[in-house]
Amino acid sequence: MSEAEANDEVVFVASLPDLIDASEYDDHPDGRLVRLRLTVGADGVELLGDAFRPQELEALLRTLGGGPTEQMLCG
Amino acid sequence: MTGEPVWRPAVLATATGDGRVRCDLCPHACVLADGEIGECRVRRNSGGRLETATFTTTVAHLDAVERKPFFHVRPGSQVLTAAGPGCSFRCNYCVNHRLSQYGRPGGSSDFAGDPAQPSTLVSQAADAGAAIGLSYAEPSLAPELTLALAGLAAPRGVPVLWKTNGFLTAAAIDLVAPVLTAVNVDVKAATDAAHRRLTGAPLAPVLDAIERFRAAGVWVEVCTPLIPGVSDAPAEARAIAANLAAIDPAVPWHLVRFTPDFRMRRPDPTPPAVLARAAADGREAGLTFVYVERALGDQGRATYCPACGVVLVDRTLWASRENHLVDGRCPGCGLAIPGRWA
Repeated sequence: MSEAEANDEVVFVASLPDLIDASEYDDHPDGRLVRLRLTVGADGVELLGDAFRPQELEALLRTLGGGPTEQMLCG
Repeated sequence: MTGEPVWRPAVLATATGDGRVRCDLCPHACVLADGEIGECRVRRNSGGRLETATFTTTVAHLDAVERKPFFHVRPGSQVLTAAGPGCSFRCNYCVNHRLSQYGRPGGSSDFAGDPAQPSTLVSQAADAGAAIGLSYAEPSLAPELTLALAGLAAPRGVPVLWKTNGFLTAAAIDLVAPVLTAVNVDVKAATDAAHRRLTGAPLAPVLDAIERFRAAGVWVEVCTPLIPGVSDAPAEARAIAANLAAIDPAVPWHLVRFTPDFRMRRPDPTPPAVLARAAADGREAGLTFVYVERALGDQGRATYCPACGVVLVDRTLWASRENHLVDGRCPGCGLAIPGRWA
């Protein structure tokens, strides 16, 4: 798999932590808030994101590269 | 992951002559010539025999029952949720579109998943003390897998749950209802026209399904996403609530925030005030148990006794914190609260 293909890949995972609290909804009525958390560990850098508009966050993660994007399913 | 579906014989098929087969699973009632695939993209006619690609596991995730959401089913328990690709609806806002919209424009063209292993799934659920859930895509397209799971789950005391769009024929409901403990049905619009625009399917069969599942003894909860231009206006939410209250005021109604995604990226997310207003409208329409998943905090997720107002089940963001019910009854006044509590 090429690096570009790996960046486009989406893997479904059971859970991901929330970075946005519901109390913040009214402060961002247009849903443009994106929050990111960078963690440096023994295996490298992990980038966790949260956003009201998933596709904008996914586009950002793809641009930054580094491998497949994990997504939590709804319902 | 295979990349290609593995097809198996399907139930609910009627030969209509000239090698054609009608799929009797959902009200689309696709009549398929040899080689044709149905509206759902996961059932086909192969040599005069109906086949399904839904005996598949793409994901098997263990999570809280409250996430489905079920608020009146075994609070604090877990569900092993399995899903394969496919849906009978084509909702423009679907957050799970990569899985659900397989085979459709904008959805995935690669089939993700491997043949399901019911014994493994049931063992995994039983070992975790969890139920089995079919969700994420459309479980009603997988009656064959549902029956296979249920056959193994029942002797081990593992309930089987669906989170579904409710778009099934009466025959399909009659087939699966005996093995389902609970279903959560999406009611996405108040009128047939709005429902067709959003989903590509009529609304009436969904409301009929709620009544038929209930009549068969299956516990039913309902979700309504408040979608801009479809279900977020006061009149729409009130009409949906009135429809549900006419079926049974005790049907739990979950109001869900719209997320801009898939083919509906322009509208803003549903404001908390709109969710709060719809919740109030739901109660005014006569619904006893109205919930808002997260936008309104713990208060929007708690279950209150309709008689004395005591908090019966207190919930955190995605799980139950404390269940105060005693044998399904209010600890304050003794009122029996509808649900599947044990």
